[in-house]
Amino acid sequence: MTTDFINICLADDDEDDRLFFTDAFDELKINTKVSTFNDGVELMDYLNHEDSVLPNVLFLDLNMPKKNGVECLLEIKKNEKLSDIAIAIYSTSSSEEHIEETFINGANIYIKKPNDFEDLKKILSEVVTINWQYHTSGLNKDNFLMRM
Amino acid sequence: MKYIQLHKSPLFLKIIFVISVAIIFFIGGITFKHITVLKKSSAFVSNSHEVNAELERLISYIKDAETGQRGYLLSNDKTFLTPYHNSKGLVRKSFKRVSRLTAHSRTQQSNLKKLLYFINKRQNYLSKSLYMIEQGKYDQNILKNNLIIGKQTMDSIRYKVEDMMITQQKLLKNRQKEYELTMNYTPLLIYLTLITTLILITIAFIKMNRDLVLLKITINTLSVANEASNLAEIVGGFGSWQLNFETNTYTFSDNEYRLLGCEPQSFVASLEAYLNFIHPEDLEYVIENTKSILTDNDLAPFTYRIIRKDGEIRHFRTLGRTVTIASGDKTFIGTTSDVTEEVYAQKFIEDRNRELESNNKELTAFNYIASHDLQEPLRKIETFLSRLVSKDYDNLSKAGQQYVSSIQSSANRMRILIQDLLQFSRTNKAEKVFEEADLNSLLENSKQELAQIIEEKKAVIENNELPILNVIPFQIQQLFTNLISNSLKYSKEDATPIIKINCSTIVANEEEILPNNNTKYHKITVADNGIGFEQEYAKKIFILFNRLHNKNEYEGTGIGLAICKKIVENHKGFIFAKGTANEGATFTIYLPA
Repeated sequence: MTTDFINICLADDDEDDRLFFTDAFDELKINTKVSTFNDGVELMDYLNHEDSVLPNVLFLDLNMPKKNGVECLLEIKKNEKLSDIAIAIYSTSSSEEHIEETFINGANIYIKKPNDFEDLKKILSEVVTINWQYHTSGLNKDNFLMRM
Repeated sequence: MKYIQLHKSPLFLKIIFVISVAIIFFIGGITFKHITVLKKSSAFVSNSHEVNAELERLISYIKDAETGQRGYLLSNDKTFLTPYHNSKGLVRKSFKRVSRLTAHSRTQQSNLKKLLYFINKRQNYLSKSLYMIEQGKYDQNILKNNLIIGKQTMDSIRYKVEDMMITQQKLLKNRQKEYELTMNYTPLLIYLTLITTLILITIAFIKMNRDLVLLKITINTLSVANEASNLAEIVGGFGSWQLNFETNTYTFSDNEYRLLGCEPQSFVASLEAYLNFIHPEDLEYVIENTKSILTDNDLAPFTYRIIRKDGEIRHFRTLGRTVTIASGDKTFIGTTSDVTEEVYAQKFIEDRNRELESNNKELTAFNYIASHDLQEPLRKIETFLSRLVSKDYDNLSKAGQQYVSSIQSSANRMRILIQDLLQFSRTNKAEKVFEEADLNSLLENSKQELAQIIEEKKAVIENNELPILNVIPFQIQQLFTNLISNSLKYSKEDATPIIKINCSTIVANEEEILPNNNTKYHKITVADNGIGFEQEYAKKIFILFNRLHNKNEYEGTGIGLAICKKIVENHKGFIFAKGTANEGATFTIYLPA
């Protein structure tokens, strides 16, 4: 594991969204290593594997088959080995229930998938460059939802 | 109450009856006694007369003997001697009669003894004289002397008889005096008691008459009440029954029988007979419930099923309580009503409610999911478009570039529509948490939300002090945002938009448009100087997807004001719009204080 790379994981069942995500990082010219997973089960299998490199930031879609985002979030936060990973919820929904639920369960930030590719790039660059330690200590419900 | 008077009457009448009977017995006794006295008195009078007559007769027999002897002496004809011979027997008989008639008086008896002595003496001298004459040899002097003694004895007899008559008279007088004494006060006593009895009987009669009138009125009232109750039972579809605690017998009203599908009074009313009609599954429940009749003197309403005579199952509700009737006896009165329709209606409503509820839930979920899931492909269209524009825009022909920008604006419009729909369905959802909120700060939040457009349009928003109210805060904020953005959207191009927000407290019946009651409301008006609208559209603008303008002139989805209406309704308030074309619109909101 090298400190030059920011390790980023994304779990999203939508192929297009995974494409937008990787393309955005490709264009961002930040030293990142992006791994994507098709659903929650795949993601958890990877995270629980002993040899796996744990990500610095994990992007979680909520609505996924087999194992959804909230289930993954709960499992990660329960696991001591994984509980320090910064988790960004990455969802189409911006409903109060989802924001509330994920906030309570320990997610670090909530991102509503943007409609514009440029906006996406902007958001992702901001998120990966956040000083998570600082952000987490001052975390409250008002700055939980990432606004553009 | 009238019937209480009536039920006390028997005691009064009994007393009068007893007194009257006692008085009649008393009068009867006195009358009997007095009649006996009268009878005795009259018997004594006739006895006295008989004694007198017999004494007269006795003397006349003696005289007859004397006269017969005298006739013989003068004429020497023996036929004159017949009365003399007869007289002896007659005198004896007569004397015996007198003696019998005067048996009750000692004085008369002793007088009789003396009289008998004189009579015997007289007869002796008579027969002595006759003997001397028949022998033919008699001394004239002795005969004369004999005759003189005979005459003297005769005189003694006469005196004695007179004496006896006088004694008899005296006795009679004494008797009569004695009787008169008892008889004197008798009529008065009888009269007085009779009057008393008459008065008592009259009082009793008046009382009875009055009671009868009262009874008649009571019976009339009762029969009317009875008819009314019968009619009420038929109209109201209920029956009644009674349990007499004294005799432990039941009575069912006619309609009670009809409810069971039977002819009125077609069987003897009893608990067992009634239990026979009860649905077997409810039997235990009914028995358990009716126990309280004896323990609590009360029967709380309960519903059960019965099977009518014709086999139809009906739902009955029974209740009742113990009442004390006029005589002081306790009777349990119960009513039974056929609540089958009610039960079915209730069940229908419950089913309907459940159906509606689930429909509503489904609809809300559908609405939410639909608008939510619609966003996903739209977002991708927009994202791909943005990539197309940023990467390949220059490679497109002029027409192609035009198409792309048209697609972009359509997608944008679709997004706004979906967002508004989502907002609308969210207003519907059950997240109605009321909390105390300062409407001033909610308005401030709205202004912040709209800061950019307010800045662009250089709009002026004025407001006076708003109240602190128990509301759903995010909805009220939405309400302000929607109303202000509506005013800004329909502002005039050539004038500074001015939006005035005012608040006052009013009572419902002061406002023509509100229901006529005393509820207090906060009246909040949002007035603008925009393009306004024709008043005839005032109601239409709150209908979902209703727009007054072409979407090319003014962008809008026709959802914003529908959301406003929904929010105000969620707060049990009212919203009205008033518009004048080209002058402005005023939205008035009433929120309960």
